[in-house]
Amino acid sequence: MTLRARVLEALGTVYDPELDEPITTLGFVGSCVVSDAGDVQVRLRLPTPQCAPNFAFLMAADARTAVRRLPEAREVHVVLEDHYTGEEINEAVARGAGFDSAFPGETEGDLEALRALFHRKALLARQSRLLPVPASTLGELTGPDADRCRALRRALGIDASDGAPPFVTGDGMPVDASDVRFRRMSSLTALSLETNGGICRDLLKNRNRIPPTPRPTGHSVSCDVPLGTPEGEEVAA
Amino acid sequence: MYERNGEKFFVFDSHLHFWDASPANWKPGAEEYAKGWIECFHAYQGLGPAETHWTLEHFQKYSVEDFEKDVFDEGHVDVAVFQSTYLKEWYTNGFNDIEQNASILDRFPGKLILNGRWDPREGEAGLRQLEEDHAKYGIQGVKLYTAEWYNGSRGWKLTDPEARPFLDKCAELGIRNIHVHKGPTIWPLDKDAFDVSDIDHVATDYNGDLNFIVEHVGLPRIEDFCFMATQEPNVYAGLAVAIGGLMHARPKFFAKVMGELLFWVGEDKMLFGSDYAIWEPKWQVEGFVDWEMPDDEAYSDFPRLGVEGKKKILGLNGAKLYGVQVPEELRAPVPSEAPADPTAAVGVEG
Repeated sequence: MTLRARVLEALGTVYDPELDEPITTLGFVGSCVVSDAGDVQVRLRLPTPQCAPNFAFLMAADARTAVRRLPEAREVHVVLEDHYTGEEINEAVARGAGFDSAFPGETEGDLEALRALFHRKALLARQSRLLPVPASTLGELTGPDADRCRALRRALGIDASDGAPPFVTGDGMPVDASDVRFRRMSSLTALSLETNGGICRDLLKNRNRIPPTPRPTGHSVSCDVPLGTPEGEEVAA
Repeated sequence: MYERNGEKFFVFDSHLHFWDASPANWKPGAEEYAKGWIECFHAYQGLGPAETHWTLEHFQKYSVEDFEKDVFDEGHVDVAVFQSTYLKEWYTNGFNDIEQNASILDRFPGKLILNGRWDPREGEAGLRQLEEDHAKYGIQGVKLYTAEWYNGSRGWKLTDPEARPFLDKCAELGIRNIHVHKGPTIWPLDKDAFDVSDIDHVATDYNGDLNFIVEHVGLPRIEDFCFMATQEPNVYAGLAVAIGGLMHARPKFFAKVMGELLFWVGEDKMLFGSDYAIWEPKWQVEGFVDWEMPDDEAYSDFPRLGVEGKKKILGLNGAKLYGVQVPEELRAPVPSEAPADPTAAVGVEG
């Protein structure tokens, strides 16, 4: 496996916190250039220049962290491209600094509370797809949605062991799969995330028709093309 | 008015614009933002049918003749609400400020309702301006854009103490219809800018005096919007973007979004808005009249929308909020519930 393939694999573990999908399948990785010496340059391109700065920051910072974990990666640069707060975000991410450092005086806390809020939404949404499965413990649920539920539960500090209750509220309270209110709320939340993901994909496709702002020459552009269009199929049925 | 299969629909477009986003209006030093904003809107237009797409140049600035043709001549719209959006940090003369909107009112007597705006960060001066706009134009509504950048601030919330005098002033002057559009930034920046809980608070405080029309049905937070709207009798769903952005591009999502809105919010509190010039009203009106909830197991939980419901959403609900007289033959046989009647909320508790 080449270093570039491993970098892309690492980027596949980075989720858009708002949509609960990997940035790679969303098509947000605009380019990924790896030099022979192991220097990595990743450019992220979001669906609009005005995507929310807090989520944009999380994706850029998480991408840098994920790639830097690879022992063979030397210099790692993650750049958010054509974004209206890109300058502030790129500067802070390059230093490994926090969101508050990117926007001094414009924050009250770090982004962990926001991340946790969207983990709770994502957990609620994921569970809606598992509700038809008869299960008395979490261990009886399998497949990608169940795996993601486990990861989200662990991130939220909710028991994710095999013997744990299969379904929980965002706060970790066990809930019965037949609970009408829970079913309604989880399916509505799933619809919200899926709809937003659909709109983001469509907007990015339209955006990619307009070429990015020309950049200064002098660096490798050999692999510098969009890494495929976002997958565009509707998932709601 | 739009007629289809013998049914006549009064069309009240609760959300449209006459903007100037041409490079000549880009504020020096802020060109990147002005350019990014209109290109983002243009990408949204791409979610509509291909034959309705415009060139970016045309989209940046269209003429009053284009407006007349697209909205009134071909778009079936009877009456429309002109929303004012300032963005004066990015556009020298504003994106579409109240003066620019007012300049074409005379050409369309009785067809355009002019809305104003306010921004709590402008303080006393902003409050005086709101009074002046009301005195000059008799505005019945405002459009608030909470993500607007202003003097180093990237946004605000309706629960900010500075917003209270403005809401009080609206109640005092009878500016009853508060359209709220959430955007990607807010203060502080680490919070979710699209959160609608501030609307929830002020809707409770001003129930009976003010109506809150949440534009784009709270997208991208439709779940929070639905939970809130179902409990607040004076909260309405503005369908701009829901129809334009989903009905053609993502029909299955559109059906589910409509299903959820019909369940949580109800057909008496949903308002058509084209969001012109992002999308032309013609295909939206025609498509919506023809639209049916799919007859499929996946949609079996959702309420159905009949002809009467479509009449309410396309025109009668909005006309009622703005006191517009609808010709007798276009009215619903059974009147909708009163706007601020608490029983209008769809109960889901229990």
